[in-house]
Amino acid sequence: MKALAALLLGLSALAAEAADTLYLYNWNNYISADTAERFEKWCGCTLKQDYYSDNEEMLAKLEAGAAGYDLLVPTGNAVQTLIRKEELKPLDKGQLPHFANLNPAYVNAWYDPGNRYSVPYATTVTLIGYNADKLRELHLPTDTWALIFEPKYLEKLKGRVTVLNSQRELMAAALRYLGHSAQDTDADHWRAARDLIVRAKPYWATFSNSTYIKELAIGTIWVAHGYSNDMFRAREDAKAARRPFAIGFAIPKEGAVLAVDNFVIHKSSRRPDLAQRFIDFMLDGANAADVSNLIGAGNPNAAAVPHIRPEVAGERALFPTREDIARLEMLRDLDPKERRLMSRLWTEIKVK
Amino acid sequence: MTRSPWLWAAGLTTYGFLYVPLAVVVLFSFNDSELNASWVGFTTRWYGILLADDNMLQAAANSLFIAIVASTVATVLGTMAGIAMHRWRPKLLPFLVLTPVAMPEILLGVSLLLFFRQVLDLTLGFFSILAAHITFSIGFVAIIVRARLAGMDESIFEAARDLGATPWRTFRRVTLPLILPGIVAGYLMAFTLSIDDFVITFFVAGVGMSTLPLQIYSMIKVAVTPEVNAVSTLLMALTLTLIALASRFAPETLKSGQ
Amino acid sequence: MPASFSRLRPSAARLTRWLVTLPPALFLVVFFLLPALIMAAASFREPGEFGGLAPLSEKGFTLEAYRFVGEDVIYAGILAKSFLVAGATTLLCLLLAYPLALLIARSPKRQRDLLVLLVILPFASNFLIRVYAWIIILGPLNLLYSTTAVIVGMVYVHLPFMILPLYTNLEKHDPALLEAAQDLGAGTWTRFWRVTWPLSLPGVFSGAVLVFIPVLGMFAVPELLGGTGDILIGNLIKEQFLDNRDWPLGATLSLGLTAAVLAVAGVSARLTRGRGAAA
Repeated sequence: MKALAALLLGLSALAAEAADTLYLYNWNNYISADTAERFEKWCGCTLKQDYYSDNEEMLAKLEAGAAGYDLLVPTGNAVQTLIRKEELKPLDKGQLPHFANLNPAYVNAWYDPGNRYSVPYATTVTLIGYNADKLRELHLPTDTWALIFEPKYLEKLKGRVTVLNSQRELMAAALRYLGHSAQDTDADHWRAARDLIVRAKPYWATFSNSTYIKELAIGTIWVAHGYSNDMFRAREDAKAARRPFAIGFAIPKEGAVLAVDNFVIHKSSRRPDLAQRFIDFMLDGANAADVSNLIGAGNPNAAAVPHIRPEVAGERALFPTREDIARLEMLRDLDPKERRLMSRLWTEIKVK
Repeated sequence: MTRSPWLWAAGLTTYGFLYVPLAVVVLFSFNDSELNASWVGFTTRWYGILLADDNMLQAAANSLFIAIVASTVATVLGTMAGIAMHRWRPKLLPFLVLTPVAMPEILLGVSLLLFFRQVLDLTLGFFSILAAHITFSIGFVAIIVRARLAGMDESIFEAARDLGATPWRTFRRVTLPLILPGIVAGYLMAFTLSIDDFVITFFVAGVGMSTLPLQIYSMIKVAVTPEVNAVSTLLMALTLTLIALASRFAPETLKSGQ
Repeated sequence: MPASFSRLRPSAARLTRWLVTLPPALFLVVFFLLPALIMAAASFREPGEFGGLAPLSEKGFTLEAYRFVGEDVIYAGILAKSFLVAGATTLLCLLLAYPLALLIARSPKRQRDLLVLLVILPFASNFLIRVYAWIIILGPLNLLYSTTAVIVGMVYVHLPFMILPLYTNLEKHDPALLEAAQDLGAGTWTRFWRVTWPLSLPGVFSGAVLVFIPVLGMFAVPELLGGTGDILIGNLIKEQFLDNRDWPLGATLSLGLTAAVLAVAGVSARLTRGRGAAA
């Protein structure tokens, strides 16, 4: 009994501490430990993070009743969904003096006109990362989706390729390779994409949303379908471990998916004030540069650019040029019927 | 009865099959390498990292708290159910009590998720996990208590009655002491089930409310390091101690469990 | 206690009965029965525009999810595969568990408790740890992410569920029966097959059910150890709720799994009743 009382006391103390805590639901590895620490010192509060590796996962968890998060970091289409579901708190621009730091190209986006709810944080492109030395050895192209879809290339890569475990992302890549838009919802096009994927699947090692970073960096995987910032990390890890190979990554010529990830405040937030302070902190040029320098994400913050290392800022896959951007698309959310068809196609892809 | 060499060989093979994987987990918790692929050298740093890992410690605290409360409530309700099922053989109660035990956990998890969100519009957290754990534990406790009661000699109770004891007195002085080992076994069973539960907790945990299994799961999915081995080893040590204690204090615990 | 209640006045006896029976019953009605009914009802709803369930007032009931599941054989196929994996797991568990259970049952009383403890101890470790152990072992062997890995994991996790009921049954066998058979000239194999095995069947069934049904619903083992094609019905269900936000479809698949489980339980009950012995 005494033990129980002590336990309860201890736990209530923990709960009291929670008062000055900011809960952030974020992508894996999307804020560096340094930045988090700096923020905690600056605001005198605690930052607690939970992670997801896919927008769908985040939305599904929220749908399943996950509450108590102050901040989320959804991609554009998820922002739109959340706004339409009325799950977000509007931002008080008055508390965001650094808002003007943002690059006008990323402000006032289709998913949140007027930025009433969201502040762009980072951009990534879903592309192909590869073991540059191995691919050179095998005389394989590095700038096309064919690398993961065409058996003639896959034969040399059997068991060394991973793709994202994400319905939307993998289908989008297949659609672009087939010459369609990533936002195409034509059922026939989808079935063609499914067939393309099923044909290539036997050569793939597995579907992976995050383990590919390590596998690439170690060298057990030679080609991975993944996010540009993760590839950057793999490259840095391989360099740090002094591997005999280098990791490269490039935007395929057929086009790819651009994701703009944004900070939003969930309506169940207990500390919207802390959340706003966090957002403003991240809008400051020097802090915003962290996400590029440490994590390798693209940056929608103009004031951050002077603080970004040249080798990062010059990396085309992370900071796409104008002509690159023409080949990039953002994904939009599907309606229930489309979602159901997509889920069945995904089941077929997994099972066949 | 004979235990032929073949039987010994087969039996020991099975024991080996049971223990070798766990030995590997424990061994590699001391591996001085980020990967679990090959042995590099001996170190205890993973335990240091583990003990500094706030998320892990919070999850452990949550697991412990939930297990204590859930198993207490489940033991009380389960004992009542076990007694009821033995004494009055009601029609509906066994179904209610035993089905959660027999069903695949995912069905329980999913239906509770639907129930909490759609009907109660409840934010998932402590309460939802507690309710879920109690639900699946009641059955285990009830089975154990009922088995214990079934194994008892009715004449003891008749003797108590003949000596003039009231039902409550009989329960307190005769029945309770006799089924106590069963109750203790049930409590420990419920406790272990709660600490160990993954599937149901996975569906009803909500956010910011992690338990040890959920923490381990996300570590396995995202980035496997020997820290996982370290927490596994510690967890095994804990449950090992509990079970050893149980068989000391209530030697029939193992029997009662059947 | 059982007999002593007859000393009470009928109303007091009835009160006691309700006091003892009601709390657990109520708790389970609220937290088990009701959710089960909700889940059944959810399968007849439309998916919400952004996920979850559409409001009843807007969309009403529908059989759309059932039609969706019925019109494509893939879902039945996955259920069938789940049955196969469950069956294979049960069989392998039986093969591994039987010798060990026999060994323990035939050991002297003192040793038996220790041997049973040694069986339970690995079981005391967290289920995920037991799966994780195989990730470490099978990885370097290149056996990971395959159906083999899934079955190995399933067998490993469920083995104690087969060992214990078998042992409980075998322990009760009268050694005199085997001695008699031996005196009548039966060899080792005949003694086993004609005496031990038939007597152990109730234990075998108990264990089989305790393994088969949970395996049917598992998703963690296929998810962590399996390749992409190794999804079972449990994975599909989890996907609907936690990835696709399609709750009606998830509920429909869950009902399918429930029906499968009830069928298995029914068959097993029929078989054990036929043997005339309670497990």
